[in-house]
Amino acid sequence: MSAVPAIAPRPRRRPEEAPRRHLEVAPTRAQRRARPRLLPALVTIGGIGVILIAQLLLSIVLADGAYQISSLQSAKHDAVLQQHALSEKLDLLASPQHLAANAEALGMVASGNAVYLDAKTGAVTGTGTSAGGSLIGAGDQVGNALLGGTALVTANPAGTGTTTTTDPSGDTQAPTDTGTGGAGQAPQTPGLLPSPTTH
Amino acid sequence: MISLRMSKRRLSLTVIAVFAIVAVFVIRLVDIQLVQAAELTKLADAHRMQTVTTYGTRGDIVDSNGVVLADSVDRFDITASPRNVSADGFDRINKDGSKTKISLADAIGEIADITGADPVALDTALTQDPTSDFVYLVKAVKLDVFDKVKALNIPWVYSEPHPARTYPDGAVAGNLVGFVGTDGPQAGTELKQNSCLAGTDGSSTYATSADGVRLPGSTVVAKPASDGGTIALTIDSNLQWFAQQTLAQQAQATGSDWGTAMIVRVSDGHIMADADYPSVDPNDRNSVDSSSLGARSFSTPYEPGSIMKPATVAGMVDQGLVTAATQVDVPSRFTDGLPAGAYIKDAFAHGDMHMTVAGVIMNSSNIGIAELVKAQNQKEGLAASEKARYDNLIKFGLGSKTSVGFGGESAGTVKTPSQVDTITSFTQQFGQGMTATSAQIASLYQTIGNDGKKVPLTLVDSCTAADGSVTHPTTGTTTQVVSASAAQQVREMMETVTTQGSLRNLINIPGYRIAAKSGTAQVAANGSYGNDYIVSVAGLIPADKPQYAVIVTLSKPQTLKTSAAAAPAYTTIMKQVIKTFRIQPSTTPAPNIPVAW
Repeated sequence: MSAVPAIAPRPRRRPEEAPRRHLEVAPTRAQRRARPRLLPALVTIGGIGVILIAQLLLSIVLADGAYQISSLQSAKHDAVLQQHALSEKLDLLASPQHLAANAEALGMVASGNAVYLDAKTGAVTGTGTSAGGSLIGAGDQVGNALLGGTALVTANPAGTGTTTTTDPSGDTQAPTDTGTGGAGQAPQTPGLLPSPTTH
Repeated sequence: MISLRMSKRRLSLTVIAVFAIVAVFVIRLVDIQLVQAAELTKLADAHRMQTVTTYGTRGDIVDSNGVVLADSVDRFDITASPRNVSADGFDRINKDGSKTKISLADAIGEIADITGADPVALDTALTQDPTSDFVYLVKAVKLDVFDKVKALNIPWVYSEPHPARTYPDGAVAGNLVGFVGTDGPQAGTELKQNSCLAGTDGSSTYATSADGVRLPGSTVVAKPASDGGTIALTIDSNLQWFAQQTLAQQAQATGSDWGTAMIVRVSDGHIMADADYPSVDPNDRNSVDSSSLGARSFSTPYEPGSIMKPATVAGMVDQGLVTAATQVDVPSRFTDGLPAGAYIKDAFAHGDMHMTVAGVIMNSSNIGIAELVKAQNQKEGLAASEKARYDNLIKFGLGSKTSVGFGGESAGTVKTPSQVDTITSFTQQFGQGMTATSAQIASLYQTIGNDGKKVPLTLVDSCTAADGSVTHPTTGTTTQVVSASAAQQVREMMETVTTQGSLRNLINIPGYRIAAKSGTAQVAANGSYGNDYIVSVAGLIPADKPQYAVIVTLSKPQTLKTSAAAAPAYTTIMKQVIKTFRIQPSTTPAPNIPVAW
């Protein structure tokens, strides 16, 4: 196999004179290089294996991420739709027709003339008048087809005009859309501003 | 030797065969890679790539406080594939994994219950053409309904988005906002400002796996969708509602055909409210007849009558012809210079009266105006004075469209000196024989209120593009129509209408100085004036330094045929203007200028 021809050593002395020494052919540098080396091969093959496995794992993770992204995108889309639907509803509930109808359903009336108090001089300017009464007594003339069937808030019969701050019976009804009040709700007295008791 | 020749031949045959095969491959390769490349790529993409339309949302229309008047909303069309419908029904997989058999009739019943659709119509749609792959079941349902239908898990039910437009405030400013029909914007601001509002749809493509999942990083945006811009109107929606409500109540109480109410900010010509009666609810276009789909305040010119007189007098004061105290001899009827048999009279019968120019305004005397015109003719000559008066009306913006340029807006008519006949030459100066729209009259009062400076009326304040850039539409230039002192003098004359005029009990608001003028104009029908009137009241508050102009007009009231029909609505709206904009009471009394001598 070796490219270098093996040269048989010529005996210089007689064999009986000295024991025959073991000789070995020294490989040339090229021979040493050509010899297959195990470690780098193992490292290379192992490296390739690791890379392949890593790539596989990465692709699994990516694919999993793709599903996650897809599901999150869909969830986001749903949430955006939900937000649109809610803001649409809010805009409708905030329409002047709905506010006016609710205010009057709660017994509110339009105020009279504005009167101004000068904080510096204490002078009052303007001529006060009594409250203006109902704005939509004769019906709301400004149509809104979207409001059909939208419930009005309900007035609080127990709290109106009373001075008690608690209602132990617990039957006060919160002014909510659903109209389902009942026991357990916080009692309230509309029309009263919180103020300390003084003598 | 034979064997050598044989092997040579074999070799050459083999080489030729190899070359032939290679050539075939090369040709095929060129064919696939170059000749058919585009076609094949397209075919492959069609299998692998999904193209989706991304929708650009149409912008909102909001009022000056950001309240949404027109809104783009999500609706969904429920569709189905009749081809996939099985008459035996289908198995619904429940949450716990069990299966429930749902018959076709049950499935249709479930959809009908949720959407309120007619089950018979649904059944017909599904069974009419069993080979079809697409039918609409229910159009434009809301999200909650759509979610419920989706939760039914019916295998042949599909959906598609259906962008829609709603108007959460209904008829509030419906006349101004307009509406979008199936073929795009149809009227009002929706149509006029479409270039700002409209979004453009885009498209993007992405690759999918066999189970339809989007492959990461494969999305290519072919054309980005861009959302439309937001239009901000100058309107205050609460005040607009109040004006519409008040106007409608008064119009109905008086049996009027139609009415308009306009509130204009004097300093910048912004229209704070522009009510029309009847007024369309853009959500329900059938709520009014087709003549009421637009804004009458812009589209309908009428003979305004006496409400015009301040413009004529302002022009004469500006030219130095008269002052508030100039004495006018007002006979019981005016015939000078008119054809035989023709005469001009006042709304109330009277003998000879001695009025000042302020008195002419206070009493709304047609004869008084005619006397002033006659005096001007005598002083400057007919042609010159005719031209001066015409120019004055034109400078006030009459005879030309306002800067708003609303869809279907009318310019009204003012007769030129060469067009006027002997009578119109006089009557045009008190608002008969010429026409104007409510918007033009509002602009006229804005000019008088703003010390003679006519600021272009503005309805659209700004367009805010999706990227946040704001543009303000150009509206024209401010012009000085009459001098500040002329405008101020006319306002002082108009204050006598509030303090001493016949409507004083109806239009006076204690604590406030208000310059007002009424109009009761006869309506011409079939070539002559009949028994119908267009009545109006206009006012500027506060008179000494006006902030707002309010004009209320009613057409053909039946129960009361004078401007007293419009006065209650005018006063109610004026009081609301005071509250809304916190106008403080006047600190000085109205000047006591003489109205008679």
